[in-house]
Amino acid sequence: MIEQFAEGFGMAMRLDTMAMMCIGLFGGMLVGSLPGFTTLMAMAILLPISFFLEPIVGIPFLLGIYKGGIFGGSVPAILLSMPGTGAAVATSRDGYKLTQKGKSRKALDMALFSSVFGDTCSDIFTIMMIFPIAFLVMQFGPPELFAVLLMSLIIIAATSAANPLKSLIMMALGLWLSFIGTDPLGGAERFTFGLFDLKSGIPLLPMLIGLFALPEVASVVIRNDKARKLSALVGERLSLGEFRRCLKTICRSTVIGTMIGIVPGLGQIVAAMMGYSAAKNASDHPETFGEGEIEGVAAAEAANNAVNGPTMVPLLTLGIPGDNVTAILLGAFVAQGLRPGPQLFEEQGATVFAILVAMVIANLLFLVIGYLSVPFFSRLVTIKTSILIPMVIMFAFAGTYVYRSDPVDLLMLVAFGVFGIIAKAAKFDVMPLVMGFILGPSMEYAFGQTMAMSNGNALAFFATERIGALAVLIAAPIIGALLWRRLYGIPRTH
Amino acid sequence: MFSKLVKKSLSVLALSAGALTLTLAPAAAEFPEKPVTLVIPLGAGGSHDLNARIITSVIPTYLEQAMIVRLTPGAGGQKGTQEVANADADGYTLLFSHNYMDMLQQYVDNLPYDPMEDFIPIARVNYAPASIIVRADSPYETFEDLVEDARARPGELSIGHSGNWGAFFVPAAQIMQQLGLNMNLVPYQGGGPAMQALLSGDSDFTMAFPSAIGALRDAGDIRVLASAGEERLYEDVPTLAEVGVTGDIGYMHRFILAPAGTPDDVVATLSDAFESLSTDPTFVRLMGSLGESIDPMTGPEYQELREQQAVAYEALVDTLTSQ
Repeated sequence: MIEQFAEGFGMAMRLDTMAMMCIGLFGGMLVGSLPGFTTLMAMAILLPISFFLEPIVGIPFLLGIYKGGIFGGSVPAILLSMPGTGAAVATSRDGYKLTQKGKSRKALDMALFSSVFGDTCSDIFTIMMIFPIAFLVMQFGPPELFAVLLMSLIIIAATSAANPLKSLIMMALGLWLSFIGTDPLGGAERFTFGLFDLKSGIPLLPMLIGLFALPEVASVVIRNDKARKLSALVGERLSLGEFRRCLKTICRSTVIGTMIGIVPGLGQIVAAMMGYSAAKNASDHPETFGEGEIEGVAAAEAANNAVNGPTMVPLLTLGIPGDNVTAILLGAFVAQGLRPGPQLFEEQGATVFAILVAMVIANLLFLVIGYLSVPFFSRLVTIKTSILIPMVIMFAFAGTYVYRSDPVDLLMLVAFGVFGIIAKAAKFDVMPLVMGFILGPSMEYAFGQTMAMSNGNALAFFATERIGALAVLIAAPIIGALLWRRLYGIPRTH
Repeated sequence: MFSKLVKKSLSVLALSAGALTLTLAPAAAEFPEKPVTLVIPLGAGGSHDLNARIITSVIPTYLEQAMIVRLTPGAGGQKGTQEVANADADGYTLLFSHNYMDMLQQYVDNLPYDPMEDFIPIARVNYAPASIIVRADSPYETFEDLVEDARARPGELSIGHSGNWGAFFVPAAQIMQQLGLNMNLVPYQGGGPAMQALLSGDSDFTMAFPSAIGALRDAGDIRVLASAGEERLYEDVPTLAEVGVTGDIGYMHRFILAPAGTPDDVVATLSDAFESLSTDPTFVRLMGSLGESIDPMTGPEYQELREQQAVAYEALVDTLTSQ
């Protein structure tokens, strides 16, 4: 195996591989930073290009798009409070506050460094531990997934706001919104009022842009400071000292993200929220989180990127794609004559290691590309408000429409925008709503599967062979209660 | 002043005449004179998406126009299908569908379109045959072992499938119906998770397409008990017909539909392009490397299959929902 690794390392050191990775990274970053264009779409469209390239050039190219796209998503989240994906929601919370304080450059730098750090560590961990991870992945079935999702929701509700009742109300509302549409298991229509447009449920993108971006636009307009800029300054670059101060948080988030990457079906959104919650809990000044705390950006970005390494494991060791991104990569592998599966390492070990090494190199290349691009991106907020605000509104509507060309999505955008403005005025945090909405369907599906497996016996969660699920189910409320008490329950003395 | 007005009106007239000729031009011009949109009512990265990426990168050679993929997922495929049903029947908007979405949904849901009335098939591209698989350490050595145990313990065996009324649910239900079995159908979100549930021991058996079976079978992790197909897919594995399951069961057909009312010459142009496509060396090579077969069928040939499917699926849904 060491020999294969050495051979693979040599194979990855090619100029054309690097060049194509750079193109992929840069293109992915651009696409990811435009709301409405998803990294997944970019990968699907550019997939045929990889068919005509050598495996060690074509697959790193796709990986580049993927990695660039994830960071790209955090750019509008930080600068305009416009998260294009669920994974960027946690980042936008402190990132946008930093932009308002004139520290957009610092926030983007921190997002870049912590992303690259989290990604690189999890990739290296994945390369070393690929077979133990493959074993762990198999231990998670629907009951365990349900338990972990329930725990995630409890932690989010407990840590997101000082008033847990408000959090729970918003989360319940989010869960209810996720019920609208077609029941994922039985196929029955729920709360659709017979409208065809509601049959496929509420789309995520208009909800995210509506809830997060439009209220910010409204508050700038209401303040009516036409001549001023959203922020006159882009601020200084991130200093080494600040990075060092956040290093503990970044490492913690990397570990959390990697662990969540191992659980099939959780992904970046949960990782970002858990990393953020953990950082807030561990901090001696949790009240600064949500008010422009650079550690918050670091925590979310390191965690959502650390998911990437382990999600490749089921694909490489079993040939099973866990999500859409890995499904596209599976297509790329197969088209190259590499059949992911148990024998891939025996037959093509060197090539696989070369691709894994290329993943690590892609991170380093991205550090350079990102570092050079951040100054250009961060200048965006120094545009005069009278020009920037119409631009943001245009991006919000165009981005929502371009996603699937459905005019109904625009109505949703406006509706969620109005809701977001009201919630903001009433001091209700919309984060638990979004998380309930995103995680609700997965949790419901896992619950339904468990019921189907046991012929409708609700005690299936407590079966002895499902001891893991049982442990999490019992621990979840206790952890939630403790977290809330620690963060908000005991008055602090400063 | 007056002459100026006349001049102006004349030039406006000339302009509008020009514009009119331009608008009328398509009727006379040869189809296609602009890119054709291929709507996929499914998400990115699925097998339809991957197949379509190959189709659209080769077909411009024969169509002399680009073909653009548009993904419109939602409501189990109904969103994209409705979009094409409502599109102009001019051949510029086509649908890339599969048989379960096309012919089965009408019996389990109220559709905003009528699949038989609103669409005509242009061509079938290929089909994916489903196989019944078990873990290598499973007690079932043959399909008969499985059936015997399912008879002895009704409702206790669990089969993981890729989603209700989907590509593995339907053949599994059809087999149960034909052989009079009762098993526990557990849904997973796609073929990948269903395969993982089989390997981790959560389900007793599952179904899969060749692309997902290949590597795992070679590694000795799974055993194939029976496969759909007229001929044996694997030399030592019987076909479904050989083990007593007959009919169009276990095939997921991938085909192109156009809105009903598309002019005959346009349909002919499109059919010809797809026919030439199926023998194109680049197309054959790319589909081969993706592990997909090429089984072209003309529109009228496939229409016959659709009509048979409609009858079979209606009967299946009646049996399942009357229980």
